[in-house]
Amino acid sequence: MANETVVREEFLDMPGGRVHVLRGGTGAPLLFLHAAGGAGQWLQYHELLARRFEVIAPDHPGFGGSDDFPEVEGMDDLVYHYLDVLARLGLERPHVVGASFGGWLAAELAVHTPDAVGSLVLLSAAGLRIPEHPIADLFLMTPPQLAAALFHDMSKASAVFPPDPDVDTILAAYRDMAGLARFSWAPFLCNPKLERRLHRITAPTLVVWPSEDKLVPIAHGHRYAELIPNAAFAQVENCGHAMYFERPEEFAEITTEFLAMGAELSGASR
Amino acid sequence: MKFVFFHLMPYPYLPDDFDSKHPSPSLTFPNRFFDPQLGNQLYHRYLDELEHADTLGFDGIGVNEHHQTAYGLMPSPNIMAAALARRTQNAQIMVLGNAIGIRGNPLRVAEEIAMLDHLTNGRLASGFVRGIGWEHFAHSIDPTRSRDRFTEAHDLIIKAWTSDELFQWISPNYEYRYVNIWPRPLQKPHPPIYIPGAGSTETMKFVAEKRYTYMSVYAPSRVVRRWFDTYRQAAGELGYVPHPEKIGLSIPIYVAETDERAHREARPHLMWLFHRGLKQGPEIMFPPGYMTQSSMRGLLMAGMKPFPELTYEEIISEGYAIVGSPDSVANRIGELQEELGFGLIIGLFSIGDITHEQTVTSMELFAGHVIPAVRSLGAEVPEAVPAGT
Repeated sequence: MANETVVREEFLDMPGGRVHVLRGGTGAPLLFLHAAGGAGQWLQYHELLARRFEVIAPDHPGFGGSDDFPEVEGMDDLVYHYLDVLARLGLERPHVVGASFGGWLAAELAVHTPDAVGSLVLLSAAGLRIPEHPIADLFLMTPPQLAAALFHDMSKASAVFPPDPDVDTILAAYRDMAGLARFSWAPFLCNPKLERRLHRITAPTLVVWPSEDKLVPIAHGHRYAELIPNAAFAQVENCGHAMYFERPEEFAEITTEFLAMGAELSGASR
Repeated sequence: MKFVFFHLMPYPYLPDDFDSKHPSPSLTFPNRFFDPQLGNQLYHRYLDELEHADTLGFDGIGVNEHHQTAYGLMPSPNIMAAALARRTQNAQIMVLGNAIGIRGNPLRVAEEIAMLDHLTNGRLASGFVRGIGWEHFAHSIDPTRSRDRFTEAHDLIIKAWTSDELFQWISPNYEYRYVNIWPRPLQKPHPPIYIPGAGSTETMKFVAEKRYTYMSVYAPSRVVRRWFDTYRQAAGELGYVPHPEKIGLSIPIYVAETDERAHREARPHLMWLFHRGLKQGPEIMFPPGYMTQSSMRGLLMAGMKPFPELTYEEIISEGYAIVGSPDSVANRIGELQEELGFGLIIGLFSIGDITHEQTVTSMELFAGHVIPAVRSLGAEVPEAVPAGT
């Protein structure tokens, strides 16, 4: 699919460093919070969302094109970082869509400042601790193991895991994983207190999970949907945790439909 | 030159299908393969070997720390040092080292080492390490904080040993409102410090600044050369030439009466060490953030083969190990000393699944014939720094 959207690359100068942002499309603002992978990438999923929304996709501290921001040490700091980013972007109540690690962040943001989120979409979000359904330890996986854990349709994996990466590609991936480790080594990919705070969320919320998620078990999705007031739940069949890398059309359609329907209801705005 | 008899205390009794079934002897290798009866015998055998090294005249006997692995059975090296303290007489007892970065409470290390310094009557040497990659999984320590934790813990321990006044310690990773350790160490200002490094320039600069001893880890001599040169360069930038005894080469050594016999006997045990003991993939060796971007780049560019892919011939020819008759081993040490400029050998004699008898024969030949032949090497600060620095 050819890009129809003009994608703008921006850097936000913040007190602790620069934030790399990709921005494209017109419509209600949609803040996209990326997963462990995917920083700095404008994918087909973003392109499809940009047909209805103004998609704003920053890279987290220590990921992609953003600086390290070493003082952003944990998830609590990261939430304040994003409150600053929202203020800097002049966004009051954007739609917030977060995937995996970014989904955890989106939930924390909506818990911390419920009014800052117009509506919320959590895509296979990390963040909960369910000992009987542990999140798989992606830090311990070799690249082939990680590919197998992320994708249900392995034919889609080669685009994300090139067979012979060069040194710079390896180092960029190592940096992104270090960014993830900083926020999620221990407690592992969760905030044990998040679950009991989810009741604070006021934004209309959709929880979306791929049926074949080998990384974050679907029980986490059910838990989110159960504890966030009035949350809806949708499942995408025959898809792995890589979600919009694997089935971008379905994920974009589900996201767009929910946000478009809920836009007026939620009062999403700049 | 000074000589250390170093032990890893491996658990050699791996299952027959280890090579095909298990990615590593570490972290996830199930502990059901640890037989307590055999393990019990191993501890006493290995301690006997360390004690024997003391009677043979080795300058030091060394132990180290590893967690959740058949590679080495010393989660607490300080316990091993305590076991050796009153059963040895002359050798320096070298803890190489405590993994202060993964200790939840590094002040405990300051206390234990101070105690050991008294138990050994001032024969203790204190090594500090960050903790190896997989140990950050094993002890739930964020590897992105590994270097900061190491540096802060080091500074805390040194200050705890040397301050004669109660103080408060506050750093990003540690807070102690009352630091006032009893006992203080016996040695003044504190036991000598040894730091192993695997090529990180941050570590070399740190060691040079503090004038500690820099030790290599297992690597080919061309790579060790670069590390030692960079260390000497870091010292040079601070205006001094390090004494060769501040540069330690860690290397497995096997001595037998003839070259032919030595190679025949050493081969399977070196292969165990490099192909089984050191079968550790990058995902457990270098968890995210454990290496800085520049050190990781250096590692990727160094082009070192993974240990399990080394042939025996490469292990010998590239300087990963020294094997031969006493004369051959002495000659090889002379060659390596000239190339690398070290004045300290940290020798691993109990290699992989080697027997106790072989270990004893090898260490006795080394002490009786090799040490006297090479003792004078690396004893003085060279007038000119070796070429290439």
